Amino acid sequence: MTPFRLEILTPDGVFFSGETDNIVVRTTVGDKGILARHEPYVAALTIGKFKVRIDGEFRFGAISSGIIKVDRDKTVILADSCEWAEEIDLDRAVRAKELAEQKLEEFEKADNDRGVAVAEYKLKRAINRIEAYKLRK
Amino acid sequence: MKDIKRRIRSVGSTKQITKAMELVSSSKLRRAKQRAELARPYFEAQYTLLSEIASSKKDFSTVYTEERPVKRRLFIVIAGDRGLAAGYNSNILKAAVAAHAGDAVNPKIIAIGKKAVEYFEKRDYELVGSYPYLAENVKTAHCADIARAATEMFSAGEVDEVVLFYTAFVSALVQNPEQIKLLPVSGIGAGMGEDNGLINYDPSPEVVFNRIVPKFIMSLIKCGVVESYASEQGARRTAMESATDNADQMIADLSLIYNRARQEKITNEINEIVSGANAL
Repeated sequence: MTPFRLEILTPDGVFFSGETDNIVVRTTVGDKGILARHEPYVAALTIGKFKVRIDGEFRFGAISSGIIKVDRDKTVILADSCEWAEEIDLDRAVRAKELAEQKLEEFEKADNDRGVAVAEYKLKRAINRIEAYKLRK
Repeated sequence: MKDIKRRIRSVGSTKQITKAMELVSSSKLRRAKQRAELARPYFEAQYTLLSEIASSKKDFSTVYTEERPVKRRLFIVIAGDRGLAAGYNSNILKAAVAAHAGDAVNPKIIAIGKKAVEYFEKRDYELVGSYPYLAENVKTAHCADIARAATEMFSAGEVDEVVLFYTAFVSALVQNPEQIKLLPVSGIGAGMGEDNGLINYDPSPEVVFNRIVPKFIMSLIKCGVVESYASEQGARRTAMESATDNADQMIADLSLIYNRARQEKITNEINEIVSGANAL
């Protein structure tokens, strides 16, 4: 397959920069696959898993919200945070999940809508990371 | 004479401290510069994207670009956590105060850095957020919190303008207090991007734009914090360097006085002995 350039940027630096021939990401309107010579396209990403094919093999990872921008010559993903499946710290993710569940319950009792929203977001992120961890090679 | 000796010793130990602070600041400065470099690609990509979207449609408008008559403003002010950095803290605080001189009501404040928190707490301001000790180890999450608070206040109509105050790092010797208007988003506009309506936005340009704006503001705040931190270290390094030089100068002056006094004492003693011998 024809390769094209992919850059994954996060506020902490360049996460990935190199060649790929197939990307699948989760946008707000569903999963989206990108191949070479895709039309120019921009979409918002939600918390989800992503995969990119590098040298014929898929690599998996977790992304928490961002933007994908496909240009004729390259694709840029702007992510709030991004991790390869193999790099995920499972213990931390599990702890974050438990903490978020506990917080969620507290906030629900206290009728704190804002708190519930934040806790739900954190819970989703933790679950996403745990699931992505299972995809590691 | 004893007094002079004691002073030389105390200036000497002060000099050691200022010298150490100078070295610490220059290594922190190097780290801060590296961090600023890391965040740049992300920031630049965001900026291009925003301007491309803004120029993709003629009648483009969202809540974040809406210009309202300014009744109440929100200032996000970044200062240091510690003093001893020459005019670093007072310059940025003065700039923030001068900026609202003509306003009917004092702006709401989000203060970053202990010095900024202390300053606005004591005065007649509504402090809506305070983040002391953030700069040294700034996390994206904190900046995201601040950005969310600011965008929410803006879209709820509580404030009509959001301004960020930070200290721009020009060089290790020159740091300037600066302000940028975060909201409403302006200046990002037509002609900046190359796009001409060919890009497909999913679900729509407005939705994508509104998703990016809070993240963009987050990046701006983070860049502001990182850059201010570099400026603080630069200012402190310069201040400590001149303090060390002054200490050297003082030690030289004091040693001269000390040696003179010692010489004088010896001369006196010889005189006394000689005149004593003559008297015999």
